[in-house]
Amino acid sequence: MIAGRAQFNPVRPAIVAALICAAPLLAVAALGVFGPWTDYMGHIARTRLPAYLGHTALVTSVAALSAGLIGVPLAWLVARYRFFARSVFEWLLALPLAAPAYASAYGWYDLTQPGGPADFLPTVRGPVGAGLIFGFALYPYVYLLAREAFAGQSADAYEAARTLGARPRSAFLRAAIPMARPAIAAGLALVVMESLADYGAVVHLGAPTLSVGLIRAWAGEGAIADAARLALILVMIAFVLFALERSQRQRARQTSASGRRRPPRRVDLAPLQGGLAVLACLSPVLIGLVIPLGRLTYRAFHAPLARDLFQAATHSLTLAVLSGAAAALIGLACAYALRSKKPTAVAAARLAGLGYAVPGSVAALGVLVILGGVQTGLDDMWTALTGMQFPLLVSGGVLALIFAYQSRFAAAAIGPSESALQRVTPTLDMAARTLGAGPGETAWRVHRPMVMSGSLLAALLVFVEVLKELPATMILRPFNYDTLAVIANNYASDERLGEAALPALLITLIALPPMIWIARRITRQEGAK
Amino acid sequence: MTLATACKSLLLGMVSLSALSACSPSGSSSGEGEVNIYTARHYASDDALYEAFTEETGIEVNVIEAPGDLLIERVRADGERSQADVVVTVDAGRLWRADEAGLFQPAPELDSVLETVPANLRQPDGDWFGFAKRVRVIAYAKDRVDPSEISNFADLTDPQWQGRICVRSSSNVYNQSLLAAMVAQDGAEAAEAWAQGIVDNMARPPQGGDTDQIRAVAARECDVAIINHYYLARFMRSENPGDQEIGEQIGAIFADLGDGGAHVNVSGAGLAANAPNRENAIAFLEFMLSDESQRIFAELTNEYPVIPSASYDNDVLDAFGDYASDDVNVDELGANAGEAQRIFDRVGWP
Repeated sequence: MIAGRAQFNPVRPAIVAALICAAPLLAVAALGVFGPWTDYMGHIARTRLPAYLGHTALVTSVAALSAGLIGVPLAWLVARYRFFARSVFEWLLALPLAAPAYASAYGWYDLTQPGGPADFLPTVRGPVGAGLIFGFALYPYVYLLAREAFAGQSADAYEAARTLGARPRSAFLRAAIPMARPAIAAGLALVVMESLADYGAVVHLGAPTLSVGLIRAWAGEGAIADAARLALILVMIAFVLFALERSQRQRARQTSASGRRRPPRRVDLAPLQGGLAVLACLSPVLIGLVIPLGRLTYRAFHAPLARDLFQAATHSLTLAVLSGAAAALIGLACAYALRSKKPTAVAAARLAGLGYAVPGSVAALGVLVILGGVQTGLDDMWTALTGMQFPLLVSGGVLALIFAYQSRFAAAAIGPSESALQRVTPTLDMAARTLGAGPGETAWRVHRPMVMSGSLLAALLVFVEVLKELPATMILRPFNYDTLAVIANNYASDERLGEAALPALLITLIALPPMIWIARRITRQEGAK
Repeated sequence: MTLATACKSLLLGMVSLSALSACSPSGSSSGEGEVNIYTARHYASDDALYEAFTEETGIEVNVIEAPGDLLIERVRADGERSQADVVVTVDAGRLWRADEAGLFQPAPELDSVLETVPANLRQPDGDWFGFAKRVRVIAYAKDRVDPSEISNFADLTDPQWQGRICVRSSSNVYNQSLLAAMVAQDGAEAAEAWAQGIVDNMARPPQGGDTDQIRAVAARECDVAIINHYYLARFMRSENPGDQEIGEQIGAIFADLGDGGAHVNVSGAGLAANAPNRENAIAFLEFMLSDESQRIFAELTNEYPVIPSASYDNDVLDAFGDYASDDVNVDELGANAGEAQRIFDRVGWP
């Protein structure tokens, strides 16, 4: 591997990957900085801004709190205990992520609104209702990342705490959680950013957040530059979150300086405790997925169905698989950029992750601006050089879409990769290098086995996100190219909940096989180590 | 690694990406026998419309469905190379904005057909026109409200309606257009007073869609609601017994707007400025106003035809009866949408 030592440097591809992801966000920033000023900002500062900010704070804190309280304990339960159907819950718990949050919001609102079959419950509405919808729809981020961290933790610290007399709960709180902090923080950051970016659910539930103010600048006034400026505020909130996440990471203690770790043995639960564990695992899946989609499905009776769902499913699957694979690579590249600690590399990778907090339609706008700008820049040059017309970028089809997805979901890809790469301690690198391995060989033989589960997770998260993604898909897809999410949203936004049910259900069905496969894969890897 | 190398790699990546994508079959080349529709409508019935068009003319229809604001940005970003032939939206405000951005071109060929469309339902220069009408109406509980109590939207601001009105968020474009029409007709001050009156009388904070407002009236959460007529028509024509029952309990008042008639918004279309298939696009736009299309709108999506002479078979629309329309030009709805939204912000109608 002498050639590898001379040539392979993960930082270069990392910067390119990060710049690709960050490009649309930079375009949005440019719109905000150079675009014309109207008095819209002054207007909302005088009128709605306090309400927007209040709702934003409440929605995101309820979302983060509920996602954390659901995701972390369940991850611990599944990673460390043995109970009935544990291996099924391992992936089942991730499934609510496949249901679009707006579908869950529509379903729950329909159930609990006055006159609905569950109107004995308080109506799911307002900032708290929206926050809970996000919490139950997005807790899988926290669950998946924390589970991966708990499973990867050496048992030493926890058992040492137990030996020192700590009860299981206190050992969990004082030994296990601190070590999983970076993963939990990364998961929570994703939950908060996605809640910040949501538009559909918060409007439906009557909890307008900043993203609503942003869309109104655009849709109501055509003030795109002002919309971009509000998007930059969201980005700044995300930036602060990242900074907090960083500080969490720095405080996190290393698992094991030697890199040797003893995989934990799962503890058998007594029948009663096991029953409670099953109940605990079942409830979030029921609340986040089964009940709201079940309600939509009930509405589907008496609803005629149009459109070729099979073809749409094929399209969804194609886009999701390609993007998931690309995201795993890009996420890893960005994680290396961050690990390199080189300022340019770190800045590029951080920037790439921030786009996640921007509402999807604004992110799509950024992609349009970039592709349109490159197009006009290249058209004349290309024609002068070749005499032919330059191919259309925006209408380029699947590849333009994959570019859009990478930029939109980079954060979901970077988080897991980074938190996995975190486990590879510098001492391990040094040991490998001392033994004569070049950086490339070190990456391949030492890092790869350790970050594999993180990369799979990154691919899975982006896979699921792409299945649900709307604005970019709608505006960049080729002619006559339906996806399941587009069909589901078309019906839902037309208030035809019944017709929206089947495509929404198909999304979760498509997400199922990769979730099972990856859960098995991660489990098998743990066994092999 | 320098920034310059990074930019170079990025550019190279883009070029190879586009070169590859040029090979992907997207059915979008500007050959003969096609028309490219960018539409914000997404009704299953529109597929029936496209099929009927292809059957009649042999022209293939390529469709991209997306929200109106994004469609406009895409056409703008593509500039001269845009493949859009026809841009269709579900409300007049978006068409006005597309027109402002110079995305339409006049189609003199359509002049004679457009004369059959009432003048207030098309842009004065003929840049775009409405092809189907949606009316913003007041739904009421038949057992609790005497419909003679309300004949005008202004009546809803009376204190007797305090805590009895349901209406959705002002982010909804139909509410924006309703208020924009008031601004156009009676001025911003009167419109703001009206919006304030509605906020004072709301039974609950705005939530859900128009369908949910109808359900709320049925569930006695409120007594009247502001909705688009076709949502109520859906309940009345539903095959679901529960929904049918709701449809029977609730009536619609085609209330006047100021001195005019009921507030009419349109689904509309225009010819894209750089349409690669101009002739086919004109054929399509003409088809939208044909008796067949107008009947499809009335029968499948419960929208009213814009051509007064068009005939259709829809019991529910018949039952709603005749109504007088306001004469605010649809072009004014877009022009006043920004003002309307600010009024909503000021009076605290979220």
